[in-house]
Amino acid sequence: MKDLLIKLTNLAKEKFQAEYAEARAQNLFKTMFTMKEGRVEAARQGIENGVALRVLVNGAWGFASVGSLDATVLSEAIGDACGMAKAASLRMKAPIKLAKAPVVEDHVKVMPKKNPAEVSIEDKIETAAQTTKVAMSLDKRVKSCTVDYMDLTGVSYLATSEGTYIEMDKLYVWSKITASALQNGVYTFSREELGSTLGYELFDTETPEAVGERLAKRATIQLKAKPPKGGTFPVVLGPNVVGVFVHEAFGHLAEADLALAGGVLANNLGKKIGSDLVTFYDDGTLDGAFGSFKYDDEGVAAKKTLLIKDGVVTGLLHSRETAQKFNAEPTGNARAEDFRVEPIIRMRNTYMAPRDRSFDELLEGVKEGYFFKSFRGGQANLDGTFQVGIQEAYEIVNGELGEPVRDASISGNTLDTLLKVDAVGKDFEMDSGRCGKGQIAFIGDGGPHIRVSEVTVGGSA
Amino acid sequence: MAALNKQTMLNLAETAVATALKQGAAEAEAFAYEGKATMVGIERGQINKTNRIIDRGLAVRVQLNKAIGFAYTNIIDNQATIENTITKALAAAKASKPDPNWKSLPEKKPYPPMPEKGFDKKILELRAEDLVNLSTRMLDAATEADKRVLPIEGGASAGYGSNALANNNGVSGFDEGTIVECSLATLAKEGNTVTPVCFEFSADRTLNLNPEWVGKEAARLAVSALKTTRIETKNYKLIFTQFALQELLYYTLINAVKADSVERDQSPFKDRLNTKVGSEAVTMIDDGLLPGGLRTGIFDGEGVPHQTTPVIEKGILKNFLYDYYTAKKQGKESTGNASRASYLSTPSIEATNFRVMPGTKSPEELLSEVDDGLLVSYLQGAHSSNPVSGEFSVVATPAWKIRKGKIEQASRGVMLAGNIFELLKNVTATGNNERKMGQLVAPWLLVESVKVIGK
Repeated sequence: MKDLLIKLTNLAKEKFQAEYAEARAQNLFKTMFTMKEGRVEAARQGIENGVALRVLVNGAWGFASVGSLDATVLSEAIGDACGMAKAASLRMKAPIKLAKAPVVEDHVKVMPKKNPAEVSIEDKIETAAQTTKVAMSLDKRVKSCTVDYMDLTGVSYLATSEGTYIEMDKLYVWSKITASALQNGVYTFSREELGSTLGYELFDTETPEAVGERLAKRATIQLKAKPPKGGTFPVVLGPNVVGVFVHEAFGHLAEADLALAGGVLANNLGKKIGSDLVTFYDDGTLDGAFGSFKYDDEGVAAKKTLLIKDGVVTGLLHSRETAQKFNAEPTGNARAEDFRVEPIIRMRNTYMAPRDRSFDELLEGVKEGYFFKSFRGGQANLDGTFQVGIQEAYEIVNGELGEPVRDASISGNTLDTLLKVDAVGKDFEMDSGRCGKGQIAFIGDGGPHIRVSEVTVGGSA
Repeated sequence: MAALNKQTMLNLAETAVATALKQGAAEAEAFAYEGKATMVGIERGQINKTNRIIDRGLAVRVQLNKAIGFAYTNIIDNQATIENTITKALAAAKASKPDPNWKSLPEKKPYPPMPEKGFDKKILELRAEDLVNLSTRMLDAATEADKRVLPIEGGASAGYGSNALANNNGVSGFDEGTIVECSLATLAKEGNTVTPVCFEFSADRTLNLNPEWVGKEAARLAVSALKTTRIETKNYKLIFTQFALQELLYYTLINAVKADSVERDQSPFKDRLNTKVGSEAVTMIDDGLLPGGLRTGIFDGEGVPHQTTPVIEKGILKNFLYDYYTAKKQGKESTGNASRASYLSTPSIEATNFRVMPGTKSPEELLSEVDDGLLVSYLQGAHSSNPVSGEFSVVATPAWKIRKGKIEQASRGVMLAGNIFELLKNVTATGNNERKMGQLVAPWLLVESVKVIGK
């Protein structure tokens, strides 16, 4: 593989006048299944081998993706990519340049305790069946349970025309489990998402008993929940909601491509935009976290990047292209979902640093508000408007937790909301998830419990 | 690489079925896929990239002792890899559990002729240079419209896709199609004011794009979002454009009409067939044969012919959407709604072209019925709706104030909260401005009394 990929990058430089070329190959194997109420729909296995070729010619990108490892086909494709880049460059006003990155030769191995490729499909199915059984037998009002499971193992290869060559083992274990409950015409829905880059040992801690019980409880508690009031309220957010808030409301704006596209952070570097309690990181080095890896898909080592410290914006997330524009160091955030797409700036594990308050202290002082414990989804806009949908929530009345409320969401503008973070907990949790930006990326997010003095709550009551 | 022809694709699928049966499968189905696309990308106001993707693959589904196994590979020019894939599918079936409700793979049925306007040779002939030209026209139209507009991303693409499907019951089908599109996301900046992102696009199965219109509209929308007004918290009349409907319906209503959701107690439409679930103004059909539809094809993901299925007729719930498995389990016929994500997934129930039938009123006439309301286009967070209860709590940004029938200033960050099943009952009119948007084909919708949390 090494010789083939290096030959392709040389060909781009020597024959087609590319300023830069990279060849990225993958040999991946996936095992997946979907289980509904304990019935396996179809156990699935897949092979995905292919090569992504990316070249910079006259300051424009050309990219070709080919599901083949045939040298003739690939040579033709890289010529094609160079030709297309030339066509795209015709109207370039600002040709693309890349920030310098160290030349790396490395072979990254993973050492899982339990390699998912060596765990039998029968065992994987049994774990899912067990989770389903726990979720559905705990309470008869739980009517359905769906388990999606996926693991991915294999190797990725990267060669660049600058001399970088990296072979990197890939390992992901992921599962999403959802349950619904029904009583007297009230329908509820509950979801859990698990992920790891360590190995199948994920399920030693996230056992069927633990996961099944969390799901069933959440779905059934919601059955007696009332809709929240719409309006502006003080709220306490759980680590699971803080994680998605940091990811959606700040993380996306810190992606340098979006900052350049007119996002609100571009003009706020070095400025104070949050309260003193606000410190965020995006960290690709957390051992075993779902968003961790050693090198990104441009061959840049993943770093721990400080995004905002005590309320002051300190950094952005970069590819080599955006790092050059900001005169910054690449941070190792250029990621590609697979060989079909080019690397773009993605988050890794994004989280808020804990401080010193207990959960009870956060609740104190909230007369009428909400505790948002667990999220269902979130989305951000370049102007700083964020939305986070909530799947588990409770009222706070006079500093104490009250009745459950269902299907709320919160919204606000990042630049206002970070200033309103008025207390931060001392606990800390991380979650695993997937983020969509045209491509899917595996990410982690988390933080402590926090209190925000004011956000808009979208409620129908 | 040139496209694989019909015979090559069919041979691939039929040979895989024969091989799987020889290897011991009780039933076998194979799906061959080829997709080719050329794209030109715009970032921050300039064309800066081109992509070409050729993706081919073969997926095999087998049944063994009523247990189902599935495997795929994207290496299809090598017989050993294909045989290995079939072995993996059989191994997956052996590791799986028998399903007493499994009946069989679909039987052979005649296919309708390919609806018009699904394939255009001119799209195949588009080169990167042509797409650069198309994108330039779109970009120029946007920037010439107003200096405050920032085209942030977009581009143009031309794609071709074909698939062949075969099974041991004699099903054998080939289908191919083309699609071309261009799109532009914009925002407007004035002083310290940045608008939310606005978006416009044009997509068709034949070479029939209007890049200048896309550029101008994307610019006009962003500029019109610069001036803002405060919105009071209360219930309003809303007009939903197709952008908002597409998001909202996909994450709520469309789940509720899938037969498996109904069977699994995940749909409030359970036991509601032939009863009133919406206002008279609501008629919805699933039309896999709509000429020029972005999801049109002659058969579905398991080889069942596409058809036209009435879902809601003047407010009365008429049918659910079925794949073959769920249909047979309930003693019904498949409606041709099994869908696949190319060769990577097993078939599952999905709408084809989900059509909200248009009414007779022009957009202006719909607006004239609103004294004090909002025009809602772009939603944030529709995917966090409750997929079972249909409850949604989303941000509409920008949304535009409607006063006395006229669109006025924009609002930022207002929230809408409600329930899709209540909303259906409050639809008072549909526009005559039908438009295709991914899976959805719909006009504007006028809805009474939706809770808006102001800002």
